[in-house]
Amino acid sequence: MAICTGCSLLCEDIVASFENGSLKHAKNLCRKGHGHFQAAFTERTRPMIDGEQVTIDKAVERAAEILKSAKSPLLYGWSNCTEEAQSEGIALAEKLGATAEATIACTTSFCEGILMERVLSGKIETCTLDDVRNYADTSIFWGSDPSSSHPRHLSRFSYYPRGEKRQRSYEEERTCIAVDVRRSPTAQLCSNYYFRLPPGGDLPFMEAILAVLDGKIPKVADKKKMIELATVLKKTEWGAIFPGPGLIYSLQDKMELFEQLLARLNEITPFKVVPMVADCNARGFNELLFEKTGHASSVSFNGGSAAYGPEHSVLAAAKKCDAVLAIGSDPLSELPIGTARALAHQPIIAIDPRRSLTTDAAKVVIPSALIGLEAGGTAVRMDGVKIKFEPVMNSELLTDEQILARIMEAV
Amino acid sequence: MAEVEVVVVAVRDIFQDEAGRKSLFSEEYKSLSALIILDKQDMAGLAVKDGDKLLAKNDAGSIVVAARASKDDAKEAHPGLAFMCSSPWYNQLVSDDSCQGSVKATLAPTAEAITAISEIQARMKS
Repeated sequence: MAICTGCSLLCEDIVASFENGSLKHAKNLCRKGHGHFQAAFTERTRPMIDGEQVTIDKAVERAAEILKSAKSPLLYGWSNCTEEAQSEGIALAEKLGATAEATIACTTSFCEGILMERVLSGKIETCTLDDVRNYADTSIFWGSDPSSSHPRHLSRFSYYPRGEKRQRSYEEERTCIAVDVRRSPTAQLCSNYYFRLPPGGDLPFMEAILAVLDGKIPKVADKKKMIELATVLKKTEWGAIFPGPGLIYSLQDKMELFEQLLARLNEITPFKVVPMVADCNARGFNELLFEKTGHASSVSFNGGSAAYGPEHSVLAAAKKCDAVLAIGSDPLSELPIGTARALAHQPIIAIDPRRSLTTDAAKVVIPSALIGLEAGGTAVRMDGVKIKFEPVMNSELLTDEQILARIMEAV
Repeated sequence: MAEVEVVVVAVRDIFQDEAGRKSLFSEEYKSLSALIILDKQDMAGLAVKDGDKLLAKNDAGSIVVAARASKDDAKEAHPGLAFMCSSPWYNQLVSDDSCQGSVKATLAPTAEAITAISEIQARMKS
């Protein structure tokens, strides 16, 4: 059995065989996972400095020189690395931070990190997806669309499976609710309980739920539908909320109302929250950094202490950094144009198994083994469950962890 | 020439995601990323049909994308609200101080070619 590292569900039941440099047979892979496995055979990177192919030793040596001479390096990405590599990365940031201001940030620093920090600090109650499969009779997909982002979420955990207390499953016992700005593929499945909001409409929607739970008339156009929702919530025996980017971007720094809603729901019945982090080990990084610093997604190490706040965000760091280590993500594809442009003007060290916009712009490219396929290790599923895995393909490429260890030695 | 102001919301699509995993530099990924889903009223306002090209611009930048009409029926019409997959094309419209989840943009028909990934790469280096 293989683990699929295509998303944060880390599906453990994958059967795959490879032949002559291609995926020959696969079982249980979703469409996204299939693309992820096929990616092992296309657009692989080679060690490069300034566009010229070099040995891996030269590339690592040059990477270390750049980081060592930087006054404010940014170490960005991490969400698609093993925990072992992430630990090495945090240690590297600390080491660099002894003589410079080294910012380390993962991809969740723009979105899910704010919610994950509340989950990790215990402000928001969470649960495992196995709990959801066994007990949940109501699942709310709020600003999330697992049919597109985590395709096997509904079949493995939240809607279709027959759990310990949910043998009658979706036919009789499970209700799915979608709250979104569009009729997403997931919302189509939840057609009876689909609530379409305008962008930024989440706060008024929460206020309306709170009002109707307290027996007041909600200030919404469709009062009848809102009362139906309140009835479902009140009858729920065990509920789960899966917030996605839609909700988190909408709330930004106004998480208190969401926490207030959760507190009110939990007075009635248990409602747990599992943030829908996207990348395969984003939560792993959040947990490691939180354990180390009390912050989940972005900090700056400087003179032995860790600083947090807007001035230590990726956006701020991108404007003042003089070197970038990109690993486990493709920041030039994923970040706003202004930030991407700022990064592209600095010397970038890209540790990546495959070609990306970032590797194309990088001063140094270091190829690495693909996590889950060529590199084993540990990752944390979106619900906090740790999963260990072995590589399923032979590779002579160094793992992220090995590359970082060599850079660490040299700086 | 007709112009329409819209809020563009970033969404996910499993087909676009799969295409990106295979290659960010492929025509398939470009065709699924440089694509804006519009309400039928906005399509009519711009006098465009599926596949016609639109220049989307705001203070952050500009991009040429293909238009496609939303499949939502009249009951769920969403004039002024458009959707694009998260991608380097969408990110051309995102400023550093705006929320990445949605952006405001002005759309207008254009004869220009759909923005190539190589053009986006060149902009980053400019």
